[in-house]
Amino acid sequence: MRYMEPVQTRKSLSQLRRGTVEYCVLALLRDGARYGFEIVRELSEVDGLVTSEGTIYPLLTRLRKEQLVTTFWRESESGPPRRYYELTDAGKSALEDFAKEWARFRDSVDAILTKEEG
Amino acid sequence: MTTMETDRLVDDYLSRLEEAAAHLQRSRRTELIAEIREHIDTALREEDAAGEVAVRNVLERLGPPEEIVEAAEPVPEGERAPPGGLEVAAMVTLVVPFIGWLFGIAMVLISKVWSNREKTIGTALAVLAVAPFLALVIIDSYSESASDTLEAFLFVLWVIGGLPSAIYLGLALRRTE
Repeated sequence: MRYMEPVQTRKSLSQLRRGTVEYCVLALLRDGARYGFEIVRELSEVDGLVTSEGTIYPLLTRLRKEQLVTTFWRESESGPPRRYYELTDAGKSALEDFAKEWARFRDSVDAILTKEEG
Repeated sequence: MTTMETDRLVDDYLSRLEEAAAHLQRSRRTELIAEIREHIDTALREEDAAGEVAVRNVLERLGPPEEIVEAAEPVPEGERAPPGGLEVAAMVTLVVPFIGWLFGIAMVLISKVWSNREKTIGTALAVLAVAPFLALVIIDSYSESASDTLEAFLFVLWVIGGLPSAIYLGLALRRTE
């Protein structure tokens, strides 16, 4: 069943991505409100994080439903009004918690992965 | 490159998205489509490009519509899509002999709401209902001993015979798999 492995790996990575990208969105909003397109483009320019830009929009909706972000509309100089996303207090603390846990998690995984290699 | 062709690319993409999002709540679906449309508009405006290549690149970066919907809400497994006009029309026409019956079966078969098993049973019931009538018509065409009363009786049977199929399919809609 060796040929099954790549599929499994892809699945795991996509789940991992799905779980972490939303915190990356929160992190992008740390310094202030941004509009959807801006968030999407910035995320997709980071290597290996987002494969399909369109998937960010449902994620933004979810964050709003979970009240980790709020939205408001603002006039744009070059087109129709834009929907801006902003961190809520709950969003800020969720981001802080995740950042701490993530560092621990990453270090632990790295430690084991490099040990296995060597 | 005309605007019409690029519009068509965008429209095709958005209708694929709408189709993929059929299982989402209406408000959610409308919102998602509006957001994606807005993204396409913004992307083309910011890049100050509108040609076919620009549009194709924007759509490519957005990714397959199915993937976007999957991120919103995975297609529920084993859960039935809500029945639409097609299913209702199928059940109603099934009890109308000849054309109605034919169209009824066709609609049952193209419906995405019934499972293959339900389609098979529903169609089999509908065919069974017609069998006595058809048998008589065939026998009649060989022998001259036509019995109009029997033919009329079996014709009525056909109408009634469509009912089990329609009822079966109707009940199936209320079950979840």
